[in-house]
Amino acid sequence: MVATYLPLLIMILVAVALALTLFLLAVVLGNKNMTPEKAMPYESGQSTGDARHIRLSLTFFLTAIVFTVFDIEAVFLFAWAAMFRELGWFGLMEMVAFMLILGVTLVYAFRKGAFEWEK
Amino acid sequence: MSIAAISFFFVCGAVAIASALITVTQNNPIRAAFSLLAHIIALAGLFIGLQGHFLAVIQLIIYAGVVVVLFIFTIMYIGPVPKPESAGRPSFAKLFSIAGMVVVTGAVTYAALGYSPALKGLNTCPEAVAECGQFGGVEAFSAALFRGGVVPFELISILLTVAVVGAIMVARGRLIYREKPRRKKQELSIENNR
Amino acid sequence: MSPWLALSPLLVVGIGSLTVMMVDAFSNKKDDLSILSSAILIAAAAIAGSLWFGGLPPQTPEILAPYLAVDAMSQFFNITICGGAALCAMLAGGYLREHDLERGDFYSMLMLCAFGAMVLSSATDLVSVFIGLETMSLGVYCLVAFRRGSARAIEGAIKYFLLGSFAAAILLFGSALLYGATGHTDLLGIGQTIRNGNAELGLALVAMSMLVVGLAFKVSAVPFHMWTPDAYEGAITPATAFMSVVVKAAAFAVMLRVLITCFGDPLSAGAASGWPPIIAVVAVVTMIYGNIAAIYQSNIKRMLAYSSIAHAGYILIGVVAAFRVQNTAVSAVLYYLMAYTVSNVLAFGSLIVMGTRGKEAVTFDDLAGAGKRHPMAALPFIIGMLSLMGFPPTAGFFGKYYVFNAALQADSGMHWLVIIAVIASAIGAFYYLRVIVYLFMKDPETGAPQAVAMKSGYVVTALVLSAYFVLEMGITPSNYLKMALAAAAGLV
Repeated sequence: MVATYLPLLIMILVAVALALTLFLLAVVLGNKNMTPEKAMPYESGQSTGDARHIRLSLTFFLTAIVFTVFDIEAVFLFAWAAMFRELGWFGLMEMVAFMLILGVTLVYAFRKGAFEWEK
Repeated sequence: MSIAAISFFFVCGAVAIASALITVTQNNPIRAAFSLLAHIIALAGLFIGLQGHFLAVIQLIIYAGVVVVLFIFTIMYIGPVPKPESAGRPSFAKLFSIAGMVVVTGAVTYAALGYSPALKGLNTCPEAVAECGQFGGVEAFSAALFRGGVVPFELISILLTVAVVGAIMVARGRLIYREKPRRKKQELSIENNR
Repeated sequence: MSPWLALSPLLVVGIGSLTVMMVDAFSNKKDDLSILSSAILIAAAAIAGSLWFGGLPPQTPEILAPYLAVDAMSQFFNITICGGAALCAMLAGGYLREHDLERGDFYSMLMLCAFGAMVLSSATDLVSVFIGLETMSLGVYCLVAFRRGSARAIEGAIKYFLLGSFAAAILLFGSALLYGATGHTDLLGIGQTIRNGNAELGLALVAMSMLVVGLAFKVSAVPFHMWTPDAYEGAITPATAFMSVVVKAAAFAVMLRVLITCFGDPLSAGAASGWPPIIAVVAVVTMIYGNIAAIYQSNIKRMLAYSSIAHAGYILIGVVAAFRVQNTAVSAVLYYLMAYTVSNVLAFGSLIVMGTRGKEAVTFDDLAGAGKRHPMAALPFIIGMLSLMGFPPTAGFFGKYYVFNAALQADSGMHWLVIIAVIASAIGAFYYLRVIVYLFMKDPETGAPQAVAMKSGYVVTALVLSAYFVLEMGITPSNYLKMALAAAAGLV
């Protein structure tokens, strides 16, 4: 088990180390003259305000649900792909049927305008 | 179990418990969501330790990838909620939930300690079956699902269809009303009727 | 028999619902969807019937084997569910057009829900039980929320959704425990393991009570009924009719399968231990509470919601009786469910027909004098109410009669259950008759809103069909009872 996941562990360690190093380097080497404006969080150049009154579009919700569904589909694809050869034609047909049904769903969602960004 | 595996278990376990505690005690919902993310990743590590490789992958793809994103989306949708005035002494609800936590933890620990020899006897997967040797691996899961579980697998596609159609139905409904002002009036007339 | 043929009713509804989705997405004429979806559903019911009478396979094809049953009982429920859903689709055809709510996604969702209900009613494995349950429930939550702009609809949908997901989680937890206790997910395997004494019995009993909680929620039995009035009131009337007939039938089907196949052993189905006493208590509370609460309602849909809770109580008596006289009791429950399906479609259909846009019948006061103004529209209302009440020449009477009879045969300890049920149905007569009193013997107050009957071929067709079956099942009950007996024999 350790051998299987060792590369992953090393990658995570390298990523964390790299991020920490860059962050610390910025702290050590950087110029520090703080102004109140600089101390505020950066938000695309606009001043950060109270987010209480911002109402997000429901399209976010729709996108999130559609994303969830197709992510779950990807999990099944992942399991199927891992055994693609062993499962053979039978497995392929199963997956084709599965994808066909979800393909119909995708067409439906597209036609219903689920991917249009309306306000 | 090797030293590496044991230390991996303890590191993941410690991170899982610590981040779960942060999740429930943190007042800032975004921070709570992110510590939930840490908890989920630590849990995936624990699953790997138990040879549940596929479960670990699911944990990362579905929970870390989607569910936490949905949580954060919802938190942003609702916006910051004004913090309730915290009373000087611990409230009844807080005491109650701590008591509940202690009871559940005790019960689970008791069950795990008391039942573990019995549960071993329930292992119905004989070692001779090839898939049982690597029980929980991606290949074993895949073989079980695509050879034995054809019916539920295809049924799941309809379940996912229901989710998409339902989301469109609920989320687009209002837009349809808005497009046709006549319908809006109709909606009002039903409401006004009672 | 090939698995394709064995599954054909499910396949027809599944492919049919995808077809309806595509037609909805690519065509602008929405009103034809009502005909299309009800035709597909009726075709599926007919296929299920011909499959049944043409001879079912002696054993389920191997590929379906642990997950879905192809037995007489599943065909019985396929017919009931598809028939009920087809009638609801017809009701929707008239209702949506009249109230200018026409959106094709209603029909796609209705058919997907019916698909889920069919899966649920023939599920013989905890995995397919859960998938079927979720397919059906997710769809029904959305059907309740269909009237997106109405605060009432959203309130009902959110209540139903939150409580329903909680109940589903309990059911799933129970399933997991049951797997832990027995090492099986198929109902037959679980039952055999428990019978052979190889199961962790304490764990299995905990799992059983969790499964009972989850299923009792779906049939809206009393401690878990809180969502019912709000969801029934918020949903549009055809969706309410669908919830009250299809969801209830499928939930009772799976309840029978789980309780009898998994927990049919003498210990967990004993009169002193296990599920019969639990369900008996639930049944008593459900009948009394449902009937008494229904009296206090001024809104007709809420009244019908409590009436549906009360009916769940009567049906639960049949479920309890199944622990002794399995065949008699199960067939009584099946007959009751079919009778309830047609009677309730009739009741909700009459409520639909008693309203035009802006002049709906919402409360009893709206109905005042409506019978004099629209006698033809009031006629189905009378038949529906009499059948729900259990008045002799209707389906509802024989439903109650068979269930009570089964309970009397089952155990001498169940006499008190029947006595309570008879008292409860006497209380129930009060609010059913009240509808008829308002229709004919009250005059509307001046200036009060009055319900005006609508004209719709779809609704009239559905009403005629369901009224026909209500009377036919009341006049020649033996044919239908024979069918129910044959179906009950399929349950192992």
